[in-house]
Amino acid sequence: MGSAQRSLRSVLRPGHRFDPTAADRPIAVFEDVCKSFRADQPVLREMSLTLQRGEFLFITGPSGAGKSTLLRLLYRAELPDEGRILFMGRDIARLSPKSIPALRRNMGVVFQDFKLVPGWSAFENVAIALEVIGLPSRIIRTRVGEVLERVGLNGRGDTRVELLSGGEQQRVAIARAIVGEPALILADEPTGNLDPQLAIDILGLFEDIHDNGTTVVFATHDRTLLDVRPRRVVVLDEGKATDATNGLDEINWDGAEDDSGIRAAS
Amino acid sequence: MLREEGRTYRFRGTWRAGRSNWRLQILSVFSLGVAFVCLASALLVVSNLTTVRDRWSRAGRATVYLRDDAGESDVKALVRALEATAGVERVRYVSRDVARNEVLDGTGDSGLAALPPEAFPASIELSLTDGIGDMELNMMALKLRALPSVDTVDTYQKWTERLSSLLHGAVTASLLLALVVLGAVISVVASTMRLLLERRRPEVEVLRLVGATTRFVCRPFVVEGAVQGAFGALAAVVAVGLLYGIVRSRFDQQLATLLGVSPAFLPWPMILGMVASGAVLGAAAAWLSIRKTVQI
Repeated sequence: MGSAQRSLRSVLRPGHRFDPTAADRPIAVFEDVCKSFRADQPVLREMSLTLQRGEFLFITGPSGAGKSTLLRLLYRAELPDEGRILFMGRDIARLSPKSIPALRRNMGVVFQDFKLVPGWSAFENVAIALEVIGLPSRIIRTRVGEVLERVGLNGRGDTRVELLSGGEQQRVAIARAIVGEPALILADEPTGNLDPQLAIDILGLFEDIHDNGTTVVFATHDRTLLDVRPRRVVVLDEGKATDATNGLDEINWDGAEDDSGIRAAS
Repeated sequence: MLREEGRTYRFRGTWRAGRSNWRLQILSVFSLGVAFVCLASALLVVSNLTTVRDRWSRAGRATVYLRDDAGESDVKALVRALEATAGVERVRYVSRDVARNEVLDGTGDSGLAALPPEAFPASIELSLTDGIGDMELNMMALKLRALPSVDTVDTYQKWTERLSSLLHGAVTASLLLALVVLGAVISVVASTMRLLLERRRPEVEVLRLVGATTRFVCRPFVVEGAVQGAFGALAAVVAVGLLYGIVRSRFDQQLATLLGVSPAFLPWPMILGMVASGAVLGAAAAWLSIRKTVQI
């Protein structure tokens, strides 16, 4: 009994109690978030958005609307100028630099340009996500093998990533994002470099991931993907987020096109 | 377990990087080697000067020069007294003729040969035990000088003092060189690491993205810095060793005759210390140069 009490004490710090309602809370909340890279051109203007656990959310909008910025704010690559971003109840902006790695281990991020390490094999590119959390080699081998199989890359683990096709490279990036079983997957235009059929295949992969209980945020400006299956859709336009699950036709897709550096961030 | 995985990435990352950037690594090791050659040469000189000084400070010799008018009975009494003195191992009387012959045999100088026997003073050479200290030797010299038959006593301490002063200068020069080497190592390793960091930017970006800590990201670079520093120092030791071998094969006999001791290469602890210092310096320089850049 004594040892059980001791182990509980080490887990529960003073002031922290197990809360059974925590699982029902939103996974991420944006509260009046403002972000601008130039004073006269804000990317996000008092944007508010709630992301529920287990949700599949499309973020869409014209190029330069702030989709990438929104995701970058979530994984703390950027800080909001104003407002709060809560991830699992914690204000991301107030995290200490030492806590940022822990935040990122709870998220998997997939990019349009894959962001794989050239010269490394597909296996190594995926395994690194587990190496940073210190899992033993045996478990890493097993889990990476399973994930590569899940994304359809069985037997390609030893291939250097630059020798893989674009679709395969994106699958490696997805495998890396999901291998650590994060609570949230952020996909920033993951189909932007792929042909339409491949894009639908990749979207299917994200849906599989979502079906297993992972929350997915999928940023895309490709309208055809939004029609594949009915999902919650949020449109970013002029710095605001609008829930447009049933009203996509009203959005002006060309209006926000801009060649400025800020727009390029999206 | 966590440490074990850290090692996996650290060594795999280092090996991978070393393989892909081998030209840069070799250039860096060469530059470090050049810097360490200066230090190793200075250490070699200092270590041999120390040996020479120790040899002469423990020379265990003293010469008692006798007055021209010293009587035979006085000399015999003095020899007997010295033989009975503690710290004196052996006593040898050298008459004028013997002294003259020894000098002429050693030099073969015709000018010296023309000198009359009176020009060479008679003396008593003392071999002293190792246990005799400077203080005791000085006291003995003082007492001997007070004797009427003794002209002067040479304990060869001036040689030791000169060597000590030379050694002091060499040590100071070595310390200055060590500072130069320190600066060179930091500069070379830091530049190499920044270049490597630039080349491996995608890798660093990915590491940050998957939640690697700053320490985790820095590890392979720190290991690379340590390896470069150690190899630079080792290359310098090998280069200086080769040069030393060439010099010794040609001048060993002359140096031994001149200095009274055979020159020796750097002792093992000094070699290991230099390699270890190279590794520590390289690791520290790598850590300092990239820490801020890779900080999250």
